[in-house]
Amino acid sequence: MHSPQSCQGYRNARLLQRRSLLQIGALSAAGLSLADFFRLSARADQKHYQSREGKAKSVIHITLGGGMSAQESWDPKPEAPLEYRGPLGVVKTALPGVVFSESLASMAKVADKITVVRSLSGREADHGRASYTMFTGYRMSPALKHPSIGSVVSHEFGPRNNLPAYVSVPDSREFAGTGYLSAKYAAFGVGSDPEGNRFKVRDLSLPEGIDTARLDARKDMRSAVEDHFRSLETNADALGAMDEFYQQAYTLISAPEAREAFNLSAESPASIDRYGKSTAGMRLLLARRLVAAGVRFVTVSYDGWDHHSGIADSIKKQLPPLDKALAALISDLDEQGLLDSTLVLVTSEFGRTPKINSSAGRDHFARVFSTMLAGGGITKGHIFGSTDATASEPDLNPVTVEDVMTTVYHQLGIVADKELMAPGNRPIEIIDGGRLIRDIIA
Amino acid sequence: MASLAAAAPVAASLSVFPDTIILDGPGARQSIVVQQSPAKDAPATDVTTSAALSAGPEIRIDGTSLVALAPGSSSLTISVGSESLTIPVEIRNAPSPRPVSFRLDVEPAFMRAGCNSGSCHGAGRGQDGFRLSLFGYDPAGDYFRLTQEYVGRRLDLASPAQSLLLEKATAAVTHTGGECFKPDSPLYRSIFNWIAAGAPDDPPDSPAVTGIRMLPPQLTLKASASSPPSHRTIVMADYSDGSVRDVTSLALFLSNNDGTASISKEGTVTASASGGAWVFGRFDKFTAGAEIIVLPESNAFTWPDAVTPLNFIDDAVFSRLRQLQIPPSLPASDAAFLRRARLDLTGLPPSPDELAAFSTDPNPDKRSALVSRLLDSPEFTDLWTMKWAEILQIRANNNNNLESGRPRRAAHKYYLWLKAQIAANRPFNEIVHDLVRADGSNLSNPAANFYTTAFGNPRKPMERAEDTAQLFLGTRIQCAQCHNHPFDRWTMDDYYGFSAFFSGVSQKRGAAPTEVFIFAQPDRHSAEHPVDGRKVEPRFLGGPEPSLENRDPRLLLADWLTSPDNKPFARTLANRAWAHCFGRGIIEPVDDGRISNPPSNEALLAALGDRLIQSGFNIRALLKDITSSRTYQLSSSTVPANAADDRCFSHAFVRRLQAEVLADSIAAVTEVPAAFSGQPAGTRATGIFDGGADRDYFLKTFGASRRETVCACEVRTEPTLTQALHLINGSTTDSALLRSPVLNRLIETSTPNEEAITALFRRALSREPTGYELSRFMDRARSLDPANPKAARNFLSDVFWALLNSTEFTFNH
Repeated sequence: MHSPQSCQGYRNARLLQRRSLLQIGALSAAGLSLADFFRLSARADQKHYQSREGKAKSVIHITLGGGMSAQESWDPKPEAPLEYRGPLGVVKTALPGVVFSESLASMAKVADKITVVRSLSGREADHGRASYTMFTGYRMSPALKHPSIGSVVSHEFGPRNNLPAYVSVPDSREFAGTGYLSAKYAAFGVGSDPEGNRFKVRDLSLPEGIDTARLDARKDMRSAVEDHFRSLETNADALGAMDEFYQQAYTLISAPEAREAFNLSAESPASIDRYGKSTAGMRLLLARRLVAAGVRFVTVSYDGWDHHSGIADSIKKQLPPLDKALAALISDLDEQGLLDSTLVLVTSEFGRTPKINSSAGRDHFARVFSTMLAGGGITKGHIFGSTDATASEPDLNPVTVEDVMTTVYHQLGIVADKELMAPGNRPIEIIDGGRLIRDIIA
Repeated sequence: MASLAAAAPVAASLSVFPDTIILDGPGARQSIVVQQSPAKDAPATDVTTSAALSAGPEIRIDGTSLVALAPGSSSLTISVGSESLTIPVEIRNAPSPRPVSFRLDVEPAFMRAGCNSGSCHGAGRGQDGFRLSLFGYDPAGDYFRLTQEYVGRRLDLASPAQSLLLEKATAAVTHTGGECFKPDSPLYRSIFNWIAAGAPDDPPDSPAVTGIRMLPPQLTLKASASSPPSHRTIVMADYSDGSVRDVTSLALFLSNNDGTASISKEGTVTASASGGAWVFGRFDKFTAGAEIIVLPESNAFTWPDAVTPLNFIDDAVFSRLRQLQIPPSLPASDAAFLRRARLDLTGLPPSPDELAAFSTDPNPDKRSALVSRLLDSPEFTDLWTMKWAEILQIRANNNNNLESGRPRRAAHKYYLWLKAQIAANRPFNEIVHDLVRADGSNLSNPAANFYTTAFGNPRKPMERAEDTAQLFLGTRIQCAQCHNHPFDRWTMDDYYGFSAFFSGVSQKRGAAPTEVFIFAQPDRHSAEHPVDGRKVEPRFLGGPEPSLENRDPRLLLADWLTSPDNKPFARTLANRAWAHCFGRGIIEPVDDGRISNPPSNEALLAALGDRLIQSGFNIRALLKDITSSRTYQLSSSTVPANAADDRCFSHAFVRRLQAEVLADSIAAVTEVPAAFSGQPAGTRATGIFDGGADRDYFLKTFGASRRETVCACEVRTEPTLTQALHLINGSTTDSALLRSPVLNRLIETSTPNEEAITALFRRALSREPTGYELSRFMDRARSLDPANPKAARNFLSDVFWALLNSTEFTFNH
């Protein structure tokens, strides 16, 4: 089904035009079946670019569900009237003249290593729709589900070092799915929460008493049965995805160094203290282990930012553990020489209203809010864009979610204008109409 | 009109749409489509541009359109080659030019240009400070916002072209949404003319759209790789004053299957591959569809002799397949049928003894006899109860705190009540009647739990209406809470009228700590319309407004809903039963029927619904018909010409077993029962009364329903890496293999390896191993270490592991 039109016009009309330009060559001479022809012809008018690893070899995408206030984090307004600035104070950062909200004291010290975009302008003020856009770069449509950025990265590059390309900590989110891509590009959810020392990803190791020789025998006999079944059942994506997951599982099981990536108990007490023994700390520490071992894309969810009431108290309780963990992550990656190849992206869903409401909270506000990027070739010590005096409108350099996503894809070596194939031979751009934000690339 | 329509518009092979033309006064315009086709149902060709048109002096021909010049009766003659036909044209005596109208001209322009879509100014808070009602559901509000919200800002009556509205829309000034139309476009002219006329509001009696039609209503094309055929469509709107209008240039178009037939924004269909599709036009609050059939390019269609119809289901399915020229797969073997039916109707694979007996049974009606036996089994009752418990959300939220959710005791009583109804094969309409009209104590009348959720946070009447529509009418009315449904017939009036049935539903605490009384407040039986604050009285969804006469409106609702006259109810139940047996509904998703999501085979769904009604809503009888059909018994192996079919049931579809069925199947074939926390020993996963997805790792990992909504989509069967890891290494497989009495018996009886392998194949996959499989397995057996006393059992355990991990085992096919 076509997606409902947008003001920008109809993309489908353009696609049809492009199709009609297709020159049909010597079909039969090339010995192609009709099915081959359709596959190829669909391909021919697809915008195709070969993805090659870019500056960022991995991404840690931290998503703050609920919609974190920019005023209480990256973009405080200490000069604004009280009903706009709220009761929280500010802290000076490593950048002269730049302040963050008081609960970002640790991030303030590493402000010279990161980029804060203060002029991100969204269009969705509903949790579900906004988080869909943050994961996919598209607005939600009744007709088509779009793949999340992690699934696209998995699709473009595949696994590395025997590890799943895309891992979710702690588990896979509703809108972080594979969309129209095959289920085999889905995130691997680590399952339990990596808080404390009990954390263990289930079923990564062979059960007691089963050695690799027996696993080989099992795999071999299973493949005989699969061969037979697949010769009969030719047409099910689910079968293909299941098979893909068995292959991934086998490699994960047989590679101890891959399994070790999930082993949080191998971390020293000092490093655990550094990140903080909090939910945020342990999730980010695990994310660091995963990218260090070779996972390409890690999504870390850390929810609970929907502060319609009592925002100051909630922020004071909730933000410091994230602040500590995030600053530890940035410094840790930097010290290990991984920051240049690991892009850390912190997004929320939307911002919050300029004025404090009658319950001392702030409501949903999509017009302007902030996001943070670091590493992977992103500028260091950079505050990009600004908002007006009350954080009601973007002032300098407004950018969109599509622009930020395009830039992240660019750093990964993926041209966001590339088209992937949706069902019905429908080529869809990875991101539709995003602009590269050159100013935040180092 | 009748006399006009009597003139036959069809020449030997020529048709024209529309087949009679009524122009609403001089200046009115009508486009036409001319089609040539050798016979009914044969592929058609759009010959509009090559047709020669001639008409009387009252009409001017402008390309492929007619423009009225003067009132009167006239005619249009269409000639293509040696053929021609003539149709009547009536031009009404109406004022010319028609006065500009906000609702007839301006609102449609906003819709066509996308200004009032949800991503632009139709969003709940508008966009950049300007809001239009979504898809124009509130024209009065839109008129107010344009003319009075900021007087003088949006419209410039003195100099219409300087109006911010037009400058923004043409991107003459900065507009976040870019350029929506050009200054020389008809959309621009419509808005310009309205402003130039002083931006008048419409008189109160101005005509409203009463319906739209898409022409031609059905279209057959033939796929062609070298030149994909295209064909124009026309959208006609009917108005309350009896006038009709060609609104093709104002309509929005979409296809439900772009891979087969796409449609351009001008309404031109292009066929790209063989199959069936629907294209839709949207105008005002209406959506109308046209069915597109694209025949394969090759003429090689043949029907296999072995595929003969067995009952009415096959008649409907086969006729659709013949129409689309999709051949069916061959009938499935006895063993394949046995396994499929066993899993679908009892949630368990057949035992080896059952397999042997069935394969050698000479009774020609053995398949039908098997199905009857399975439907009478207690396992069927468990499975069907689970299916409904999922969408009726039978879950316990806690032990005894009414405030935060339904207590365990109440959930258990609710489950047992449902199970008793299904075990007794009570007519399903009666079961639903009990639920919808339920009141009293949730413990002594467990059906009242249909209305119990968290005591402190009861469901709103609107949510209850949404749930009821989705469960029993297979349609989602949620969209119409805030605006008329963009892709369906439901308006806000429908929504609030249906919600009003539940306005009086209330609850109070009972004597027991876990008891809730559901009761109706007789004086509360209307809902408030959010646009104008009007009180909306109960009205059946798509039906009349009943007279309440002091009765609980829910009683009237239950009567209407479950009546044999209410076809959507029977069709929804039938479609759910069908989807259970095929892994896909005739309408899919089963609870999202819409005008824009029509059944893939209307005749089939109608026949199943009627059959259910005739049988007195006997679900077992319907499932017997379905599983006794040839269609159900077709092989899942495809042939090239039906491999791409995913909606016409030309072959059985492979589908992963649902979590509970997979858990029970592993337990059954290994003979190691699973233990589920909080359940009596011996409980199978399908029999967990409140669902196990919250507590059991296996069930959660394999996507069991959490029973949190009425949506059938809560049951998830897509594979994940976590599932593969769990079957490979996890405790479910491992402990079953360690403890399996099946393996113990084979070892104790020193069964030769070849025999043991065969026995395990029969048990897990309901078939013999192939020669190839046996040789691969025996290669492994030969390399066993004779000195290791555990080697023999380990080997058989590995064989069993390979079978339990195969997709052939984890899928139904």
